[in-house]
Amino acid sequence: MSADGEEEDMRISIYRFNPETDAKPRMQDYDVTPEAGDKKLLDALMRLKTVDDSLSFRRSCREGVCGSDAMNINGRNGLACLTSLAGLKEPVVLRPLPGFPVIRDLIVDMTQFFAHYHAIKPYLINDELAPEHERLQTPQERDRLNGLYECILCACCSAFCPSYWWNPDKFVGPAGLLQAYRFISDSRDTATAERLAYLDDVYRLYRCRTIMNCTEVCPKGLSPSHAIERIRLALVRESS
Amino acid sequence: MRLFLGQRAWMLQRATAVVLLIFLAAAAAMLLAGPRLSYERWHALATSPHGAVLIVVLFAALALHGWIGIRDIVLDYIHPPAGRLLLLGLIALVLIAIVIRVALTMAAHFTTAG
Repeated sequence: MSADGEEEDMRISIYRFNPETDAKPRMQDYDVTPEAGDKKLLDALMRLKTVDDSLSFRRSCREGVCGSDAMNINGRNGLACLTSLAGLKEPVVLRPLPGFPVIRDLIVDMTQFFAHYHAIKPYLINDELAPEHERLQTPQERDRLNGLYECILCACCSAFCPSYWWNPDKFVGPAGLLQAYRFISDSRDTATAERLAYLDDVYRLYRCRTIMNCTEVCPKGLSPSHAIERIRLALVRESS
Repeated sequence: MRLFLGQRAWMLQRATAVVLLIFLAAAAAMLLAGPRLSYERWHALATSPHGAVLIVVLFAALALHGWIGIRDIVLDYIHPPAGRLLLLGLIALVLIAIVIRVALTMAAHFTTAG
């Protein structure tokens, strides 16, 4: 928006690829005029969609909770719905999450990403007799889950991790490892030893080089690299 | 083999890093303090029993540390199993050869002296 309140065109350059018709991907430039209520990048994308309905991207909650609209924005992974239009360098270059197979335009195949997530058993395991009411935690035990449970599995971190780019089939990746630590650190979970044994592998955990791109780019402000460090320390304690 | 995988390898890499750090600090202290370093001083160090053992330990730590680091890079970038095996084998061979060479050189002082 200009100083006198007039709306100005924004140039957005978007990665386009339709496997049914295109031999290879191309970048397509769009000019979009944001309206008064358009504050976030997703608003501009929705406006573009009314002009060119072949443009494909995922979105759902539009408030940073569902994690659907993760994409590479000007070279950095982020959620379109949390990225303000103001301050974005033009042309805004939008690409699909790096390292993930592209299904169409900005939509990527997340099968492998979720396979890693399921493999770390993302649920409480406790075979002890259930108490009459819920399994209680002290406030301190509950606090240990802060910074872990908030992950929305948008894949911004894993798709910005060079180690995950090189070995996406074997390295669990920052998102999966953050989720794994969420259950390792849960006082109600009794499968800590099995969880650690699964991760004690040259690929699953130890591909991480503490590059810390994951922490740098997480749109929820979480720190997968810190969680990974805690898993390594838990493994040291477990083995000694 | 488990010694070189997963958590053990990670611990070994850190343990050897501590050894190398101590050697570096000791070497820096030696350079800064004491009389000027000369060939005679290095020679005296290398031919003393303690010095010789320390030098072999240093190179063994360096080789182990290097092995884990280089292996990690190979695992990242070289995906065909045959190429990976060949490269890892070559690297292991070179590292082992370096340590054996250093150990033999150090031992030679004592066998000729004794």
